Amino acid sequence: ARKMHGRNRPYRTTELARMMYNLSLTPAEVLKKWRGEEEEEEEENSEDEGDDDFFKKSKAADAAEEEDRYIPLYDYAALEEKWEDEENIEALKSRFAVGHLAGK
Amino acid sequence: MTEPEAQPLLRFTGHRHLRTRLLLATLTGRAIRISQIRSTSHTHPGLTPTEVSFLRLLDAVTNGSSIEFSMTGTTLVYRPGLITGSSEGLGAIGGVIRHELHKECASRGVSWWIVPLCILSPFSKGNMNVVFHGEGCVTGATPAGDISADTVRTAILPLYRNFGIERNIELRILKRSCAPGPGKSAGGEVQLVFNHQVRLPKTLHLMNPGRVKRIRGVAYAVGVSGSNNARVIEAARGVLNKFVPDTYIFSDVSSAPLVPSNDKNNPGGKKKGAVGFGISLVAESSTHCLYSADMSSPPTGGTPPEDIGKQAAYQLLEVISQGGCVEKSAVETMVCLMAMGSEDVGRLAMGRDVVGSEDVIQLGRDLSEFGGSGWGLRDAGEGRDDLIVSVVGRGVGNVGRKVA
Repeated sequence: ARKMHGRNRPYRTTELARMMYNLSLTPAEVLKKWRGEEEEEEEENSEDEGDDDFFKKSKAADAAEEEDRYIPLYDYAALEEKWEDEENIEALKSRFAVGHLAGK
Repeated sequence: MTEPEAQPLLRFTGHRHLRTRLLLATLTGRAIRISQIRSTSHTHPGLTPTEVSFLRLLDAVTNGSSIEFSMTGTTLVYRPGLITGSSEGLGAIGGVIRHELHKECASRGVSWWIVPLCILSPFSKGNMNVVFHGEGCVTGATPAGDISADTVRTAILPLYRNFGIERNIELRILKRSCAPGPGKSAGGEVQLVFNHQVRLPKTLHLMNPGRVKRIRGVAYAVGVSGSNNARVIEAARGVLNKFVPDTYIFSDVSSAPLVPSNDKNNPGGKKKGAVGFGISLVAESSTHCLYSADMSSPPTGGTPPEDIGKQAAYQLLEVISQGGCVEKSAVETMVCLMAMGSEDVGRLAMGRDVVGSEDVIQLGRDLSEFGGSGWGLRDAGEGRDDLIVSVVGRGVGNVGRKVA
């Protein structure tokens, strides 16, 4: 959870509002800038190091072949790890109305 | 409607967001030209069968649309007509349009057609009543990332309540079907009834995502043993019970749909359509915000039901953690209705990762291309991570219902 918060700092709202209608940038570039360039590289590195065939595949795919989707591709192994982590679970619990189990 | 000559054609390129652009063109009545559709592809240039089928659907629910493609299908000019719904004499029989999805369309789920059709329906002149059927009609979730028809029913249609559109809206799943493998047929059947047409949708102010209080779901097994459902449900509950005790997942077991076998020796023969199983999960918050997740067995098979259940549950947690009042797959519906609303500022809280996705940014840009005003973005404050997106309506609303 702490990691998530640290990551969110580059996500400045005003930045996005400025770049959103700047048509010289593609949406993908806007996102890259908004999330912070350096951090993006870091992410890529960590992905390359990890054995995530998943991300490599989606990046290697020819952009012209991509189709629109409703459900994004998730890396389910990573998701499972994330949601087995007690810290993440606790962080998300604030989003739930947990009646009588609240004290647990 | 606007005169075709009065406004120049809006020009777009590429095949991404094609459906959204056609939808916005129909809603605003602007003619568009889309070029370079998969022009770089050597194997499949031009429009796909699914996109052609969507154009046919638009043609069926409107009156006076004109659609022209180039020889290769890489360029398309679309001049929308009036949205008439399933009026008698314009393709509807007995007040129902039967839209057949051919075998080639089976790569996408039926939600790919239904969700945009739902966005058009409130602005239709007459009632909307469309049956989707045929060998390409897949009601389950697909590997191409489409949500299942169950999720449309439980997570997309209730959103219209926020805009004061709530009566006589129904999605009936008449025959279930899962995603078929290559060369196989699906054969599902779904009926959309959308009989609440409005002049203008209400202005929306949805800022408080609330807390998730319950989770509902449907597990479906089509042509396979019902014990798959039990296993999917158990795995999903295993993950979700930590969070919400009020979790209830329905189980629906149906036999495989029958499709015509196209066999010369046996012309009336039928064979079984695609089989498989899957699950659709929907979480509802105390302020009626909905988050959904969908997972189904791949057409190749070989995935145990436990994995499907778990993955669906993790996907749901991920969507909830993105925050905001809408999930990514519902943004299109919400924002289009807000943009078509009265000339007033509507506000909607969205998670940072929801706004910060390519599709949503492109949607914002496309809306401004079609004459909408830019979105206002600001922080939600109060220690929350969300963004508040304010959208000014265009006051276009329903052209067919304008009082003279």
